[in-house]
Amino acid sequence: MKQSALLMTSSASPLTEAQLLKHGGQKHGKAKSDGAVLLPLTSLIDAFSIIVIYLLIGTQSGGLEKDIPNKLNLPVADASQILDKELPTIRIQKGSYYIGDKLVAVRELGNALNEVRKSFSKEQSVELLIQADQAMDYAELDPILRAGSEAGIQKLKFAVLPKQ
Amino acid sequence: MKKDLNFEINILPILDILSVLICFLLLTAVWVQIGTLSTQQALGDNSTAGAKNPPSLWIGVAENGNLQFSLRDVKVKTNLESSVAAQNSAVNWNALNQKIKTLKTQIPELKTVVIRPDAKANYGVVIKIMDQLKQNNMTDIGLSPLG
Repeated sequence: MKQSALLMTSSASPLTEAQLLKHGGQKHGKAKSDGAVLLPLTSLIDAFSIIVIYLLIGTQSGGLEKDIPNKLNLPVADASQILDKELPTIRIQKGSYYIGDKLVAVRELGNALNEVRKSFSKEQSVELLIQADQAMDYAELDPILRAGSEAGIQKLKFAVLPKQ
Repeated sequence: MKKDLNFEINILPILDILSVLICFLLLTAVWVQIGTLSTQQALGDNSTAGAKNPPSLWIGVAENGNLQFSLRDVKVKTNLESSVAAQNSAVNWNALNQKIKTLKTQIPELKTVVIRPDAKANYGVVIKIMDQLKQNNMTDIGLSPLG
């Protein structure tokens, strides 16, 4: 008598086999005879996959955090707001100024911030994110305030670490 | 000839890869979330003649931690100039907090603060002052460039 192909697949499904960890890939008969341990692996793989996806998404969304160099000690603040969008970033590190990852000389700050301003439309208000070490002098921040003002950037956000 | 559909998938390498991936992601993940403090630059004078300025507080920050307070455009009769002396060559944070609270009680509409640090004033201290002001509902905080 002819058997249904569907019936055959269900009775000897490869997935059923895949769910079981077999001792050394041995055949059914022998595995039964020497008491091989059978572990249901499907749920374990599910859990692993979910963790991998979660970690992949979690590490990709925090793009700005990765830009902070290890040696830069940001100040800590209680009343900070979480950064929710990408902003043009200027970093002050050991007396040098970086816009994005590009080193900019102090006398060129005005031109560089002008370029940043031009990359936005006139109606948009431009905000600048400043990353600086908490130990630096205020005098090192002054050129950014002046250059930003000349470029028409008046809103500044200072990067801080939220207090835990 | 009948084809045998009964085959075994070797799952152990997949598990190995997944485990290595998890370990890698856990080790390289940066969990620090960045926060921000917003300010406006206090440069130039855009006020028009006759326009009413809101009451404002100007705070001078000295290198040694002394703070100088100056109130402007306030209607309440109060001492317009005052200061908070440094404690052990650092800002007296308790006194500063108390001072802001007192000013806020005397002048509830006071929301504008301009910070004027010295060139040698510490950036971390300036940020901490801004933080204390934000905590006391001072919403419009400005930073003044060096004179």
